[in-house]
Amino acid sequence: MLASTWSVALVGVEGRMVQVEADIGGGLPRTVLVGLPDTALYQSRDRCKAAVTNSGHPWPATLLTINLSPATLPKAGSHYDLAIAAAVLAASGVVPLDALRRTALLGELGLDGRLRPVPGVLPATLAAARAGFTRVVVPLRQAPEAGLVDGVDVLGLASLSQLVAELRGDPVPLVDPVELSVTTAPGVRTGVLDLADVVGQEEAKWALEVAAAGRHHMFLHGPPGAGKTMLASRLPGLLPDLDAVDALEVSAVHSLAGFDLTGGLVTRPPYVDPHHSASVASIVGGGPRIARPGAISCAHRGVLFLDEAPEFAPQVLDALRTPLESGTVSIARSELNARFPAAFQLVLAANPCPCGMAATPGAECRCAPAAVRRYAEKISGPVRDRVDIVQTFLPLRRSQLKAAAEGESSARVAERVVEARARQRERLRQTPWRTNGEVPGPHLRRHLPPPHGAQLAWDALDRGRLSARGVDKVFRLAWTVADLAGRDRPSRDDTALALAMRRGEQPGTLVREVG
Amino acid sequence: MGTQRQSVGRHGEDLAVAELERQGLEVVARNWRCGRLGEVDVVAVDRTGAVPEVVVCEVKCRTGLGFGHPLEAITWAKLRTLRQLAAEWVRDHPTGPGRVRIDAIGVVLLPGRDPQLTHARGVG
Repeated sequence: MLASTWSVALVGVEGRMVQVEADIGGGLPRTVLVGLPDTALYQSRDRCKAAVTNSGHPWPATLLTINLSPATLPKAGSHYDLAIAAAVLAASGVVPLDALRRTALLGELGLDGRLRPVPGVLPATLAAARAGFTRVVVPLRQAPEAGLVDGVDVLGLASLSQLVAELRGDPVPLVDPVELSVTTAPGVRTGVLDLADVVGQEEAKWALEVAAAGRHHMFLHGPPGAGKTMLASRLPGLLPDLDAVDALEVSAVHSLAGFDLTGGLVTRPPYVDPHHSASVASIVGGGPRIARPGAISCAHRGVLFLDEAPEFAPQVLDALRTPLESGTVSIARSELNARFPAAFQLVLAANPCPCGMAATPGAECRCAPAAVRRYAEKISGPVRDRVDIVQTFLPLRRSQLKAAAEGESSARVAERVVEARARQRERLRQTPWRTNGEVPGPHLRRHLPPPHGAQLAWDALDRGRLSARGVDKVFRLAWTVADLAGRDRPSRDDTALALAMRRGEQPGTLVREVG
Repeated sequence: MGTQRQSVGRHGEDLAVAELERQGLEVVARNWRCGRLGEVDVVAVDRTGAVPEVVVCEVKCRTGLGFGHPLEAITWAKLRTLRQLAAEWVRDHPTGPGRVRIDAIGVVLLPGRDPQLTHARGVG
């Protein structure tokens, strides 16, 4: 007897339908699983056998061949268990052969036959819906996640015995579902962090507002305790909600990373702050055979904050260069090539030297000049060049701390950011971009009117104080400053301010200007 | 205990022989021994197909399923022995058909139920 069911193979966030065939033939009892499975999938044989027998059904005492088709596509993960068990049950006549038409099955089986949650339910359901499937069977606690996809019926089940009953039309038995292990998605705590908590540092707060409005990358530079981390962690609170398309994209990546999506789609920009001991694979994504999303993909449409940036391995920082330009990351392994979205906003923070005091007027830095230089050089030139705003912090003075006038709240700043974003969307409505930070240089220079005072940037280029990419960055920043001020075209002052922000001029030389 | 186990095995072989004869095979030997190599439970000649074949048949009999299906007890090592025995049989009986097939028959004897026979053809 031959029977087949369907499941989904995930390559990056793209899903491909996989047909699971089970053939019961003559021969000595043996179960063969073919179709390029990885180890977790190969062991599915043994899980399924125990799950089927413990659900009260016989496992065929003959040669049983299970094939996952297309046979040349490498398959990984434990979520094929349900499709394999269902195919075997259909081949042995326990459930009707045609009961699983146009149905995709996802879930890992416990030895007791209960269904266990698996990562990637959302992108897999999306793939099934796009391939024209009308029904998806998922572990009960992940039904809300699969339900985020329009156009498919979602059947959430707690066990294999429930599936058999459902397909045979028998009364469905009550089974305690396996609970999700709670992995909280990054960025959920942004709601409680308010910009009003940050004392002083008015200029840095202004830079943060510009970064939020135009999605500009930032480099925060200053002595320990000046508030770099405090400020960076408040950036997501200034960003507007994700739109529907972005929310689905971000949720799909988070589903693959195994984050809990029972609360619905991710609608707030995520915030990811990996420790500086992170490996390249944990940052950009990867794994030996199956590609898993890394921190940059988890921070898609959100903020990636690298605190103590010089402490990161140099190859980790340099691995950010391509995704910073393209907004995606392509991970190639011997057997597959996975692509993940990675349009993140980068915030780097660093001390000026190992002791932290080098750039502070009046403080004594105990580091040798060579040590200061080496420390600064740990962030390579190409990475620095991709940063739009360099913000230098000064230590807080007593008067600033004691005065402690209540600063502006995140909500008020966020309102201005929303307005500035609306102006950008309006200006860029004929293009695929939505924020100034994303606009490529040629479009900036050819299709938008040049900012007033553009000559300032060109002069800086001539004198070697700015790279060619730097000129584009200055123009982008100038547009964002103008958008925040409600001007239709950047003024000469906007451009001067942008140039100073880009070059990270000493604090005090900037003039705060809000229209 | 030993005699009981032997009698269960004997009973299973009787049932297997009856099954093979029902299928139209001619049973030519039972418990054929070959030195230290081992023993073949049943040897039969199958003339029902296009080409006549010698069938070397292993019979496994169990009175319960607590240790799995009887056919699961036929291991790779057992199959290797059966292949060697099959070759010895053909060498010993040069006038018979030259083609050999190895079959296995699993017999499950559950108290109060009819015996269940599973016949796997061409297993090695």
